[in-house]
Amino acid sequence: MEKEFIKDIEKSVTLNVTAGKIDSFRQIEKTRGTVRVYENGFVGVAGCLGEPDEAALTEKAKKALAFQIPYPEKLEGALEKEEIHEEEIIPVPEFVSRMQAFLDKLGERCPNFAFSNKIRLTHKRTEYRNSKGRRLVSGEKRFSLELIVQSRGSGNTFDTGLGWQGNHFDEEALLEQFGKEYDAFYQPAELPAGRLPVVMDPIYLLGRTLQLFVGDLYVAGASLLSGKLGEQVFSDKLTVKDDLHPATAGACFFDAEGCVAADYRPALVEKGVLKGLLTNKKTAEQYGLPNLGTADASYDGVPDLGFHGLYLDPTAKSLKELVPGQAVYVVLSEGGNATPEGHFAAPVQMAYLLEDGELKGRLPQISISGDFFDMLGQDYLGTVRDEPLEGGSLSAFMMQVEPV
Amino acid sequence: MIQFRNDFYADIRIEDRETTRISYKAGGLEEMKNRAEKQAFLRVYDGKLWYYASTTNVEHVQETLDGLYAAATPNPAILVDPIVRRFEKNRDSLLQFKDCSVRDISLEKKQELLLSYLPLLKEEECIKLPQGNYLDRSSLFTFLSSLGADIQYDYQTCGLAFGFDMAEGEKKFSGSWQKGGPRFEDIAGLEAEIRGSVQEQADFLRQSVPVEPGKYPVVLSPEAAGVFAHESFGHKSEADLMISDETMQEEWQLGKTVGSPILSIAEWGDVPGSGYVPYDDEGTKARKNYLIKDGKLAGRLHSAMTAAALEEEVTGNARAVSCDFEPIVRMTTTYIEGGELSFEELIAPIKKGYFIKTISHGSGMSTFTIAPSVAYEILEGKLGRPVQISVISGSVFETLSLIDGLSREVEFLSFVTGGCGKMEQYPLPVGFGGPYVRVSEMNVQ
Repeated sequence: MEKEFIKDIEKSVTLNVTAGKIDSFRQIEKTRGTVRVYENGFVGVAGCLGEPDEAALTEKAKKALAFQIPYPEKLEGALEKEEIHEEEIIPVPEFVSRMQAFLDKLGERCPNFAFSNKIRLTHKRTEYRNSKGRRLVSGEKRFSLELIVQSRGSGNTFDTGLGWQGNHFDEEALLEQFGKEYDAFYQPAELPAGRLPVVMDPIYLLGRTLQLFVGDLYVAGASLLSGKLGEQVFSDKLTVKDDLHPATAGACFFDAEGCVAADYRPALVEKGVLKGLLTNKKTAEQYGLPNLGTADASYDGVPDLGFHGLYLDPTAKSLKELVPGQAVYVVLSEGGNATPEGHFAAPVQMAYLLEDGELKGRLPQISISGDFFDMLGQDYLGTVRDEPLEGGSLSAFMMQVEPV
Repeated sequence: MIQFRNDFYADIRIEDRETTRISYKAGGLEEMKNRAEKQAFLRVYDGKLWYYASTTNVEHVQETLDGLYAAATPNPAILVDPIVRRFEKNRDSLLQFKDCSVRDISLEKKQELLLSYLPLLKEEECIKLPQGNYLDRSSLFTFLSSLGADIQYDYQTCGLAFGFDMAEGEKKFSGSWQKGGPRFEDIAGLEAEIRGSVQEQADFLRQSVPVEPGKYPVVLSPEAAGVFAHESFGHKSEADLMISDETMQEEWQLGKTVGSPILSIAEWGDVPGSGYVPYDDEGTKARKNYLIKDGKLAGRLHSAMTAAALEEEVTGNARAVSCDFEPIVRMTTTYIEGGELSFEELIAPIKKGYFIKTISHGSGMSTFTIAPSVAYEILEGKLGRPVQISVISGSVFETLSLIDGLSREVEFLSFVTGGCGKMEQYPLPVGFGGPYVRVSEMNVQ
């Protein structure tokens, strides 16, 4: 019988902001434990909230083998690895006062913005062990700011958002960028409709089309990508990976089955070639596919398909290099969708006009659309990292832009 | 016995939750589990700041509470605080599912029910990846407050969710069907309904044509209309996003015309189904709240905190997705009230338009979006070919004013997967529904 043990501890301190003032302080510590056992081609799983009693969980997992859930006994081999990045960002006793001081400065810089929502410190540590001698430990601390912005007098419950997450708090950088967005917000801009370069977080497109990369669907012939593994499908500028790099905020460098990619970023697409599909060990074996190593699992569940964070290889050093001249910068686009044939369309709730990489003004509400294969093929212009702030990523596509 | 202290407001919410998940994919068992969790969320308020904690150590909740008291500052005037004055002191025990709890049904019986339906997904050759899920949840909530509130109530849903990716040549379609209900017997005997839906979606795969983008009259099914009401106006009615900007109260004055005179949108936690919330997570009893009545702004959704800020009354809408989070303003069951027409009368005057039958998701702010799944064209007052539409969208207020027809028939929907997301809290079970709704013009892409 083979066995895996996983323990996960997450501590967080969360402040709620209403009208620019902190009105609550929430401190949570949550521990979860998991044991998975494998025998005769079946898996048994047991999980708990609170400090795990490994022996008791193991007994429970053995009993769950009786459900006869098929799963291959193919655990990862011996490896000892730790990636601990737990430098203190802000001491908890100072968190409320430091953040209120920051919010006060932000309010002075952006007087017509009303701020609400959350500011958080998170400390997460995950340990994975298995009976083949693998022991992995990931530890990370991160700061995250997720502010909802209402423009005073707009009558809207949500006009735009300001946010950032990372392993430090750089007040000056945040105030500078948010100040630029504030200035552009009140500068109306016009843009002729038609095909234009559109710059956005690539998750707005790929988040809605990630299902095309699911291994089961690929093999069943139900994906638009079916039969194209190993083929040049997209622009040779395009490389798409799952981001498990320890330097990325919130990332754990191994997946739910203890897989560790060579550069912590398993590739779905490399230079336009379809290189990987979303699998876990079960679907990889079942369909004879390479296992991507991005599985996910709930604390008491069988490993499932997962995807942790989108990473596109950078192709440009700056936003100006990526989109010289005029471009649309999409800040907020909720509700996009793709048809079964791959036609993508999305309303854009908040967008700015860019000129040579600089914010020029706020655009009226627009909708954007394009064909999935074209957008990642001939219409893919590239990606820039660390824009608009450190750790961020923006990709550019030629798309049809229409006023709403 | 919890020892609350004077000079503070405090409350404790405990949820004893059991869930079941049984999943099959392509005929093989993928997951079969029963999860039992007991957790508490505690709040202490001193008139200036709220202090929150969550614990799984429910037997020692007093220690956690004392820790929060130690961080807060005593306030002898706490009982006259405008937020605290709005808290209700209800004492009630409302256990509806004691004699029909899904906890008393064996895993094997649940598995047997799911297995009985799975062959239906093999009847269409175009189905390449059939997936079937049985899901249930049984929760026992306890709420205690320093003001004397003492409430117990139970909540239950169970249901089936099927996914079936289809392919025929170059044509692809992700089909789905699901149904939830409060009782296990609600999800028995559904063969005809499932078979009909699978056949319709297979026909959609084979016959659907791309839509010609533009602005058209659109008829929304109860499912689409319910999501539209939730996304377009429900979220706008959540008062927590109205208190940061002082000008919002002028913009959102009650009585203002915000939609067509035939439109009324209501919100009520007492409607059975996934949005059933007889007491909210601050102990406020559910009541029927009109958001829009006859086209005019009639109310908004509150927690005690937002009600105090806007000098209004609580509405029973302070909810948390679990005991990891504090309650915030959320919807329960949101629905459009019915009108006077039949479905045939609704579509009769449309020369060219679209009927949105099922949807895959929706979202809304000043503009709303609905991503249809199965949709049909309407030509000369009759349903025509199935059409592929990526999104329908529009300005919320313009669209609300363009509603010009409602069916008599009103349907409520309960789902067992997904739910409503708001900031960090997802997925919250909600209910929604409505009649068939005709909008004279929407943007179709």
